Amino acid sequence: MEKRRVHNNIRKLRFFQNEMTQEELAEKTGVTRQTINAIESAKYSPSLELAFKIALVFGVPLEEVFSYTTEDKATETVK
Amino acid sequence: MSSREKHIVVTLACFSLLLGYYLVNWIRMYQTVGLDQTTIFRLWATVIIVGIVVVIVGTILTYIGSNVVHAIKTGREEAEPMVEDERDKLIELKGEYAAYIVFSLGVFIAMLSFVFGQPALMMFSLIVLFSLLAQIVGNISELVRYRKGV
Repeated sequence: MEKRRVHNNIRKLRFFQNEMTQEELAEKTGVTRQTINAIESAKYSPSLELAFKIALVFGVPLEEVFSYTTEDKATETVK
Repeated sequence: MSSREKHIVVTLACFSLLLGYYLVNWIRMYQTVGLDQTTIFRLWATVIIVGIVVVIVGTILTYIGSNVVHAIKTGREEAEPMVEDERDKLIELKGEYAAYIVFSLGVFIAMLSFVFGQPALMMFSLIVLFSLLAQIVGNISELVRYRKGV
């Protein structure tokens, strides 16, 4: 049974964006700091709208912020 | 812990105390006079009114308390923003779902008690009990989702 995973580079992008804090990113996207923390910790998958807002804040395409892999693909990569 | 989580903890504590109060008084009544209509109605009214007042007062105190702590920690006077974002709404929805299941189960058990010959007062007592339990289960479900993820 394949397991879907949504990964993100938010922590890295925040660092390269003048070390933006989670709170600053939360204010810019209209969510709480805890939600940003949950997204970074992969405890919550954001809605499409929020994902686009985050990408817009960083000024990068959505694919550079979020990636989606299945366990099958991960296994293939290891092989 | 977000302001929403703090509010849930306060509500959970209040309803747990209320459940304890209800159970203690109900058992005491049942052991002394049995199912007395006047006593049960008074107990219901107390639970409902205290529940409403406690939730309102608890919410206000949580808001004031969290802003005082926020002001001390950050040194800023403006209040901590009370934002309910998509994650909060999703967790609230899932908590309500858990509460709904518990309450539905309670109604079913209450109806069963009536079918098996228990008086109507027992049925309504069970409904009140499970409504309190449903609130508690809903709150616990929300807290678990805040900690472990949605």
